[in-house]
Amino acid sequence: MVNSEDKPNISGIESYSALAIFEALLFSSDEPLTATRVREVVPELKGFEIRKLVEELNEIYRQGGRPYRIDTIAEGFQLFTLPEYAPYVERLHAKRQQARLSARALETLAIVAYKQPVTRHDIEEIRGVSVDGVLKTLLSRNLITIAGTADAPGSPFIYKTTRQFLEYFGLKSLKELPKLKELDEIVEADSEAREKFGEAFLKEIAPEILGMKEHGISEGNEENQEHHPDE
Amino acid sequence: MYQIKLPVFEGPFDLLLFLIRKNEIDIYDIPIAQITREYLEYLELMQLLDLEIAGEFIEMVATLILIKTRMLLPNPPEESLEEFEDPRLKLTLQLLEYRRFKESAEHLEDLESVRRQYFPRRVNMKQVLREKFAPEEEFIIDATLFDLLTSFKRALDNMPKITMHHVHPVRVTIEEQVNFIFHHFQGKSFLFFHELIGELPEKIHLVVTFMAILDLMRLNLVSARQQEPFGEIRLVPLSELSFSHYLSLRESLEVDAAVKS
Repeated sequence: MVNSEDKPNISGIESYSALAIFEALLFSSDEPLTATRVREVVPELKGFEIRKLVEELNEIYRQGGRPYRIDTIAEGFQLFTLPEYAPYVERLHAKRQQARLSARALETLAIVAYKQPVTRHDIEEIRGVSVDGVLKTLLSRNLITIAGTADAPGSPFIYKTTRQFLEYFGLKSLKELPKLKELDEIVEADSEAREKFGEAFLKEIAPEILGMKEHGISEGNEENQEHHPDE
Repeated sequence: MYQIKLPVFEGPFDLLLFLIRKNEIDIYDIPIAQITREYLEYLELMQLLDLEIAGEFIEMVATLILIKTRMLLPNPPEESLEEFEDPRLKLTLQLLEYRRFKESAEHLEDLESVRRQYFPRRVNMKQVLREKFAPEEEFIIDATLFDLLTSFKRALDNMPKITMHHVHPVRVTIEEQVNFIFHHFQGKSFLFFHELIGELPEKIHLVVTFMAILDLMRLNLVSARQQEPFGEIRLVPLSELSFSHYLSLRESLEVDAAVKS
C-alpha cells in the first residue's frame, strides 16, 4: 500500500497525491496514456516512476476487490475491466462490439505485422491469393496503415501495423509479438530436408548455414538477422 | 440429405497443407501425383457445393502438373547432379513460409479472444464537452481555421466540375461579398456556412466569399462556431453588421498598422 514516508517529497507533491493525480488522468483518458504524456501534462509527476504508480494502484484495486486493473498497452496505460466480468459487461456493449477478424484478415495481418513494411505483392506471394479486399477491411478498421510507397516499379503502397493493432491484441509493443519460427530454424532441425533437397534447399532457405549470407532470400526484416549463427 | 462440412480454405496453399496433414505426408517429400488427384477432388467438391473457387486455386493445378512433368524428365547425368534442383523445391518453400504465418495468425486469434474479455474505460468526449462547457449556450466551440478550411474544401469539392476553361476577368470583390454576407444575415441570429456558399455560381466567388468571412472574423464582426467537434460551422454576428461599420473598423485597423510601422 501507499506509504508517503518512503518516498521523497518531489515538486511539492506527496506520493499519495501523485497516485491520485495519476489515477485521475487515467480515469479521464479514452486511450492508452504513455508515461511521457503523463509527465508532459503534469510536470510535477516527473520525479515519480509511473510504472511504480501503476503497480501501487493495481495493488489498491486488488485489495479493494475492484473489478478493473490498469493494463500496459501500446506502450501506455489504460483501465480495463477484469475478464471475469466480461459476461456481464459484454451485454452492455453488445451492439458496438466489433466482429471478430476473419481467418484471411488474421493471416494478412500476421504477414504485415512480421514483415512490415510490406507491399500488397509481398503479402500475396505468401498467401497465394489476392488480398485487395482484406487490405481494405484492415485499413478501415485502422489495424494497418499506408506507410508510403516502395521503391519499386509502379511505386506500390507499403503497409504497416498501427497503434490500434497493438491495442486490439493487447500488446505492449511489436516486440511482444511471439517470435516467428524462422525457416532456417525449421530446416536446421530437419536434417531430412537437407538430405532430400540437398544444398539447393539450404541455399534458398538458410544461406548462412552454408556461409553465404549474401544470397539470402529477400526477407529483409530485422528479426531475421538476429538468428544468424555466428560462424 | 447428407450434410457435408467442408473446411473453408484460404487459398491453394491452405488446401495443400490440409491435404498434407490429412494424409500425414512428409512436406519435404510431397507425392505430387497423389496430392494433385486429391486437390482436384476437393475442387470438384467445392464446385458441387457452389462454393466460389478463386482463380488462384486453378492456377495451382497448373503448377502441380508442371512439377510432375519436370519430375518425369530423366535425371541429369551424374557429374551435374549437384546443380540439380528438385522441381518441388519452390512449392515446398512456399508451403513452409505460408505455414508459419498461418500459425502466427492462429496465435493472433488467441490473443484476440483473450483481449475481447477486457473492456477499456470509455470516455465519450463529445458528451463530456457538451455537458461541461455548454449547459445553456448551444454553440460552444470556436471553430478553428482548420475546421473552416475543411468546410471550404468540402464546398469546393461540391462545386460543379467544369472541364472547359474560359479566361475572363474576375468581377467579384471582398467588399461585394461582405455585403452579400450581411444581406444573408438579415433577420437571422446565425448562418450556416454551407447555406451561405451553397448558391455561389463559381469557384472564384467561393474563394472570395471565404476571404470575406476571414476578414469579418479578423475584425471581430462575426465568429465561427460549432456545436460539437467537426460539427457544422455556423457564423454568429458579434457586432453591428453594416457595411459602414465594416469599413470604419477596417480603416482603423489599417491606421493602427500604419502607425506601428
